[in-house]
This record gives sequence, C-alpha cells and structure tokens, in this order.
Amino acid sequence: MNENIQYIYFIQHGVALGYLIAWYLWLISLAEGTHIVAHLSWLYYRTEDYRPLEKVGTFQPFIILALVPLFLVADLGHPERFYTMFYNWHWTSPVAYGVYIITLCMISYAIHAYYLFRPELIHRARQEGPLQGLYRLAVFNQVESGDIREIRDRQERGERFWAGVSLLFSFLGLIYLGILLSSFKGRVMWHSSVMVFIFFSFGACSGSAFLILLTHLKNALVHTPPKALAEQQRYLAEFGIILKYALVAQAGVFFIYFVLLQYTGIGGRLASKVFFTGPRAFQFWFFQVAIGLILPFALMLYKKMRENVVVSCIAAVAAMVGTLFGCVNIFIGGQMLPMTSFRWEHLEPEPGRMTFGIITMVLMFVVFLVTYKILPYENIEVQEGVSS
Amino acid sequence: MEKSGKTVSRREFFRKFGKQVGGVGVGAFLVQVARPSLAAANSLKKYGMVIDTNRCIGCHGCTIACISENNVPDGHYRSWVKIMNKGSYPNVSTHFLPRLCNNCEDAPCLNLCPTGATYRTHEDGVVHVDRQICVGCRICVVACPYGSRFVNPITHTADKCDFCYHRITRGLQPACVDACTGRARIFGDMNDPESDVSRYLENHSTQRLRADLDTRPKVHYVNADEYIMGPDYSRLLAGRSS
Repeated sequence: MNENIQYIYFIQHGVALGYLIAWYLWLISLAEGTHIVAHLSWLYYRTEDYRPLEKVGTFQPFIILALVPLFLVADLGHPERFYTMFYNWHWTSPVAYGVYIITLCMISYAIHAYYLFRPELIHRARQEGPLQGLYRLAVFNQVESGDIREIRDRQERGERFWAGVSLLFSFLGLIYLGILLSSFKGRVMWHSSVMVFIFFSFGACSGSAFLILLTHLKNALVHTPPKALAEQQRYLAEFGIILKYALVAQAGVFFIYFVLLQYTGIGGRLASKVFFTGPRAFQFWFFQVAIGLILPFALMLYKKMRENVVVSCIAAVAAMVGTLFGCVNIFIGGQMLPMTSFRWEHLEPEPGRMTFGIITMVLMFVVFLVTYKILPYENIEVQEGVSS
Repeated sequence: MEKSGKTVSRREFFRKFGKQVGGVGVGAFLVQVARPSLAAANSLKKYGMVIDTNRCIGCHGCTIACISENNVPDGHYRSWVKIMNKGSYPNVSTHFLPRLCNNCEDAPCLNLCPTGATYRTHEDGVVHVDRQICVGCRICVVACPYGSRFVNPITHTADKCDFCYHRITRGLQPACVDACTGRARIFGDMNDPESDVSRYLENHSTQRLRADLDTRPKVHYVNADEYIMGPDYSRLLAGRSS
C-alpha cells in the first residue's frame, strides 16, 4: 500500500479474552499432557515400580481439571449461568463439546486414580490410625480381604479399562484445544491446521516436565524406600529424554507453523511479526524460546544432567514456563491483530482476574502438597519388603 | 524389576493405540466437514442493506441514531463510521465506511456460540443474541471478523446490531437508515425482487467486507475504497503503527 493514508476516525476493539482463558488452555494442555506421558510410559515400562509415577500422573491432572473451570467461570459475563452450557448445547461450537470432554476427562481421571490408589487405601483402611476413617470413606467402606497384590489382580481389568478411557479423553482434550482455536476463521494466527499439533507439543513438553517436577516434589515430601527411589530416579531421567525430544518436536511444529504463516498472505506475515518483532516479541524470544526451549534442551542433553535432581527440576520449570508463554503468546497475540484499524489491539489490564488466577494456581499447588501427605503414593508392598 | 501380572504386548498396545488415535482423528475430521453445511440459512425473507459510500458524508448521524434507539452504552457502538483521508495535497480524497453487523449468512459468531444464544430467525435471516441464554463468554466477540460485537457492560451479554429488529418487524426502517442524511443506506428484503434493495443490487456492482472468509455478509457497499474496507496490515508490517 503505497498511498498516503491518514485515518481520521476508527475504533479499536481491544483483546476480548485475556490471561484467564490463556491460562485455562495451558492448564488443560498441561493436565492432559501429564496424563498421556504418564500413562503411555506405564504401557511402555509395565512394572509395579512405576505405579507411584502413574498415580502422580493421574491424580494431579485430576486436581487441575477439577479446579480449572474456575478460570472459565471467572471470565464469564454471567458466571451464574455456567451450568447452562451443559444443556444449552450448540453442536457447531467446539466449546460445547469441550465442556463435556473436559468434564468427562476429569471424571475418568478420578475413577482411574481411584483404582490406582484403591489397593493401598484398603490396606491403610485396615490399619488403626488417625486417618483410618478417611481411608475407609475413600474406599466406600468396602474393605476387601486379601493382600495388596490380590486386590490389584482382582481390579486389574477395571483399572486398565479406565486408564484407556482417560487416555482417550486426554487425546480428545488436546484435539479440542487445537480445533477450538483453529475454528476462528477470522483470526489468521489461530486458523491453522498446525494448531492441534501445537497443543500436542505443548502437552508433551509441559506434561513430561510436570511429571518430573511433581515426582521430585513427592520424593522430597514423602518417605520413599531407597530401592523404589532409585527406580523412580531412573524413570525420571528417562522422562528427561522424553522432555528433550518433546522440546525438539515443539520447535519443529513452531517452525512449520511460521512457514505456513508466511504463505497465508499479509495477515499471516503480520501474525509472524507479532512473535518476531511485534508486541509479543520479548515474551516469545526470552520466555518461549530462550527459557522454554533452549535452556531445558541444554539441561536435558546429557545423562548426568538428567539424573541430577536440581538440574532436572530447573529444566522442568523452564519448559513449563516456555509452554505457558507459548500458549499466552498465541492466544493473546492472535487477538492483537487489528480487525478494522491499523494499530495493534491492546489488552486492558486485568488485576482482579490476574489475582484470582494466581490464587487458584496457588490453591492447586497447596492441594498437591496436601494429597502427598494423605494419599498412599508409594507401593506399600515395597515398603513392607524393605521393612522386612 | 517386577513385571505386573496381566500385561499387553507392545504389538497389541500399538495396535490398540493406533485404533484409538485413528478413531478420534476420523471423528474430528467428520465434525469439521459437517460444520459449514449447517450454517446455510434458508430463511423466507433475507433482510440486508446496501450502503452507497459516495452518498455518505460522515456525519455520524447513523451512530447517534443507533445509540439512542438501542440504548447502546457509552464507549460501545453497534453502528459507526470509519473515516480515512487518502493521497497528498492537492490530490486528497476523504472516504467513509459506515460499519455495522453484517448479519452474515454463514456467521462465525453463530457457529461458535457454545450455548446457542446467538441464533438466526428463520423468517428473515437476522442474527440475534438471546440475553437470557448468553453466558457472556465473549467467544462471539473474538469470532466476528468485522469487530461488530461487544459485551454490553450493563447486561454483561454479547450485543450487536440486529437491524433494529423491533422496528423492522413493525414495517419501519432501521434507525440508521431513517437518520442517514445522504440517503446512503437502502434496507429491505433481498429475496423480494420488487424491493428497493433487490433492484439496487441488480443494477449495481457491490462489495462485501472480507469476502475471502466466505461468511456471506448481508451488508453490501457501493464504491467503497479498497483501502478502507479492511484493517491496514501493510502499515503494521512496515512498522508504522501511528
């Protein structure tokens, strides 16, 4: 456009959906990625020693999915009408499906986690102790006979069924996130076939990172027998490999995404500019690329570093920060492209909503810590074996 | 390392995993394929508007009329006029582009509304918002490629132009049409060949906003300058944002 253009009167529309929804998308991809990584790894290892990690990878995502609707509710104009989304169902809208997918996902995680914890809960319910009543309640007062191995064998079919169901919903959840954004055909940054793969890569990166972080946290807070601890450290070092390759995959997906944007007309090129030199450039280059991709990749490159607890925790936090900013950059950046004017749209400060979001995230973390102290994450037979 | 009792082989695992992923993929594909077809509106009437930009004088009378007719809150607009100067002295021209909801035949806001609060009346194809159902999620605001929607700060629900539905169903014209000083707006039933709007469309070449999106807007423009029709991305790409 070589003409000398001067705009006399125009309207800016602003960024309609802010940080709460960006965090909502990130937390869902985090929860589902964690479960997928944890469960697929179980299918790979298929050992009893791996059960504590599978518990972490199932119950903690359940807590996230149970609390994450608060972000959505807080962002609604009419929070009191939230429940109407279940029956005022509009089948052309991805969100209408998403409400059910996320809810069913949460329920399937809860049932899967119940089966995982049940043998140890029954064992604890049999023993005298201050929390015996709670454990009895958790197993619905059905304290079965037999040792833990027999209980596991009896319930194996149900446990694996719900594991499969929860895995299916996890994949559906990530597909939902991708389809949700790509269905906005007026938003050139989101209307991309790569969006589903972006959320898969976010899920793989943040999921493996979260699993590493949470399990190290568990081992720091809960007494773990040395043999089991050594075995879990080995798994966590191998999760470092998953994280490393997930980071490479994320970089690859973003590369393809930017190449495609270059061939999506002037809007696509402007969408790339949002990341490279535009309003999200600092967040993209510093948080998403340097902190979120390069740093964890470098830290997970060598076996010795993957086996180091502090280094792997730093890499995990960095990878999670990277995916968080990746999600925010795409979500907020996609709304910064102007619809009628010639200026970037701006996000109005949302101090109240930001505070609410931070408090909810802190609440999630506190719940994680409390459950570590209450629920039997470790295999009790391993403890018995050690004690005997 | 102790193996658990009943396990699946890796081959079996990959087979089951492949089936699950394949099933999900096919389901997602079918949903995507089915979506556009259901958006087609087969209404009896088809209310639409033609705006001859050569006749618009940029008086903002339509904006004021709309605000007073529909109690639009301060700082928000259902209808407004974009104004642009083009060229260098002495070859300068001023261009006006009255903006309002296009009441698209394949409205992205309608397709993406999770509760169905945004709906199209079968009788005339006008897109409405049901304030009793709208949860105020703002998905429609983000979905509209024309920036025609906003969240009403009083009702906390989505708001937009509905061609002054309370007026047109009584045989009146929308407030902006009545208030237009230059008689730039023609409103009517585009399915009725005898209506003014149909006759005008038959004899004039018209433009529609963001035709590339295939939303089939029902607001047509005549003689609108191509530079004023959409957002100015070239200026942002060149790094000139003011």
